[in-house]
Amino acid sequence: MTTPASNPPAGEFEPKIVAYVCNWCTYLGADLAGTNRLEYPANVRIIRLPCTGRIDFNLIVKAFEIGADAVLVSGCHPGDCHYTSGNYHARRRWILFRELLATLGIETGRVHFAWISAAEGKKFQQVISEITSQTRDLGPYRAYREICEICEV
Amino acid sequence: MLQPLRETCRRLLQDGTVQVVIGYGQAVRAVEPYPVFITAPDDVGQLVWNEQCRTNLVKYLLRKEIRALGKPAIVVKGCDERALVVLQQELQIDRSQIVVIGVACDGMDEPRCEVCDAHQPRFADHIIGHATNEMQPAERRYAHLGEFLERPLPDRMAYWKAELERCVKCYACRQACPLCYCERCIVEKNRPACLDTSATLKGNFAWHIVRAFHLAGRCVGCDQCSRVCPEGIDLRLLNLSMAREAEASFGHRSGTDPQAELVLGSFSQQDQEQFIR
Amino acid sequence: MSQIISKPAIRRLVELWLRQGKRVIAPVQVRPNLVSYQPVRGPDQVLLEGFVRPLNSIKQVVFPRHEQLFQYRVRGKQIDLLPAPLPDIERIVLAARPCDAAALPILDHVFNWEFRDAAYNRRRELTTVVTLACTEYDAHCFCTSVGSRPDDTRGSDALLLDLGDGTLEVRHTTDKGQSLFAGQTQASTRTAPISPGPERRADLRRVSQSLEQAFERSEWAAWTNRCLGCGACAFGCPTCHCFDMVDEGGPTCGARVRNWDACQFGQFTLHASGHNPRGVQSQRQRQRIYHKFHVYPKKFGELLCTGCGNCTRNCPVSLGVLPVLEAMQAEGA
Repeated sequence: MTTPASNPPAGEFEPKIVAYVCNWCTYLGADLAGTNRLEYPANVRIIRLPCTGRIDFNLIVKAFEIGADAVLVSGCHPGDCHYTSGNYHARRRWILFRELLATLGIETGRVHFAWISAAEGKKFQQVISEITSQTRDLGPYRAYREICEICEV
Repeated sequence: MLQPLRETCRRLLQDGTVQVVIGYGQAVRAVEPYPVFITAPDDVGQLVWNEQCRTNLVKYLLRKEIRALGKPAIVVKGCDERALVVLQQELQIDRSQIVVIGVACDGMDEPRCEVCDAHQPRFADHIIGHATNEMQPAERRYAHLGEFLERPLPDRMAYWKAELERCVKCYACRQACPLCYCERCIVEKNRPACLDTSATLKGNFAWHIVRAFHLAGRCVGCDQCSRVCPEGIDLRLLNLSMAREAEASFGHRSGTDPQAELVLGSFSQQDQEQFIR
Repeated sequence: MSQIISKPAIRRLVELWLRQGKRVIAPVQVRPNLVSYQPVRGPDQVLLEGFVRPLNSIKQVVFPRHEQLFQYRVRGKQIDLLPAPLPDIERIVLAARPCDAAALPILDHVFNWEFRDAAYNRRRELTTVVTLACTEYDAHCFCTSVGSRPDDTRGSDALLLDLGDGTLEVRHTTDKGQSLFAGQTQASTRTAPISPGPERRADLRRVSQSLEQAFERSEWAAWTNRCLGCGACAFGCPTCHCFDMVDEGGPTCGARVRNWDACQFGQFTLHASGHNPRGVQSQRQRQRIYHKFHVYPKKFGELLCTGCGNCTRNCPVSLGVLPVLEAMQAEGA
């Protein structure tokens, strides 16, 4: 169980954020942030997929298994999906999946969802900055790392 | 009820309407009733019906060893037959090739029976006995989950760590479930492996998350999984959480409306949420 | 002259063993109607009466359901293999049923056959088994049909028998059992009655002969049709020992592990070519019976079954070896 920590001295805990983003909107939005020289925290590892509709719920679990402290899933706004309806399916899936995480006691405060379009470089910068600072306050996600330690029998 | 049930089955076998009756048998009172597959009209005396007939027999309609026996009649309770509805929607059974014998049920002495609104079967071809279906409000139907969710988040995690520690990956939950019918389950894929198959906390969390979510919006709440688990893990809680959200957010109760759309196979542009930035 | 010990004294011993850093495994009330062997954190968890037998077995103490064989680490072109260290924690199994303890010498054969399993043997050495004789049985028990009894001492280092008044008689101690209870018992003139156990259903030591002729019978399907193909029987069984070797991990680190496996799983005998010699459930069920009552006895001189009944108890549809064998014998085998 993690307790919110007061901001540690610089260099102590740097959260690892995994961002699963869709190729056509959020990834281009992130690229736009880059070309506009909008700095955002280097804590994020961006993983590009064709569409949020393809983002398996398992990927969120796997990110925590390998040591992520927070996860972002982001794609096109409803109505703008490159594949017409992938993000609608994704939204339904997330509505249900968050409840499963909550029932299991997995910190839903570490799982973030956003619609960020190709034109929203600023929004990408803001969202990543917010998530990074929120996660820094939450501290490392030890609970899931503990689950992944091999049990001694 | 037993006589009419046996008579109905005898007739169906005698006149060749079906080749096999899937029902409940019981050798001794001390052992719970178990599935029997009657092929001869004279053997219908093996069929029983009592307050121990908890098993959901629908899984057998998908087992190739049973399909090989020919056109089936199946004995179902009101809760079991919901699985038939979902299987038909998912094109796994041809309802017109199955004779469904619904038996009115007073409850099988399980907690979910107290909040059941399907004592009288609704989708059967023959109905034995009579019971009344009373509407049950959602808070009652999901009360077991509601109580659990009053625990703070870290306590819930501690609970599942203790429970899933005991899981031995026997897959009784999967094999007993009428809606787990993949010929090759995700845990059986190993080139590359998707989940750890080991019975460690990591592997057990991974498995139960996957199974609960692959059943999201599909599980009909027959509780086979919880009932058959040799370690007594309350898998019902996970399935209830998916069912409750599917009903609250999408107005969907799996297996209650043959015309309804499958919840994760469809969407609405008006789906509401508060958590997406 | 007998040796007796009070139940509170046993619990004080449990506390001592835990303080000494030993692992204590005993029957524990996990749910209102579920008792299973679990490692205990305190003496109050230990059940010494009020149940027929736990739903699992003690084989996990010497043959864990998940075991690391070695780890691998890849750093550039450098690959390191780190074998798992041999176990070194002492284990005490308390209040095991005789049908659980009897399974351990039976398992010793296969784990010391052509390959001597060092980790298994080490765990056997490190484990002391204290059994608790049965005073009741249920519809699934059939130890008396496989040549065993409620007070069987095979595999046991010390047998406890309930005197019915909060004390237990301690009998048949091996050296390990002696050292565990040294100085902890009192002399007495009282001895515990022995329960006769369940009525014998069949002499399953002789069923091997019938099985010789029964392999091609078409009735196997009818006898086993309700099997759903899970592993509940195998995993709850004190003598089942099939396992699966798996490599788990990623490109930079991981482990080769050994996990329990079950012959009833649909893909247990699936070949890489896609052919499956046991593609139908009745073939898999038939194999289980033959392994336990025909092949193992031929090879090692003992049945691979102690009559505990867990297979039927754990089975979602109450199948298990006894119902199958009884169906076979009822139809003139």
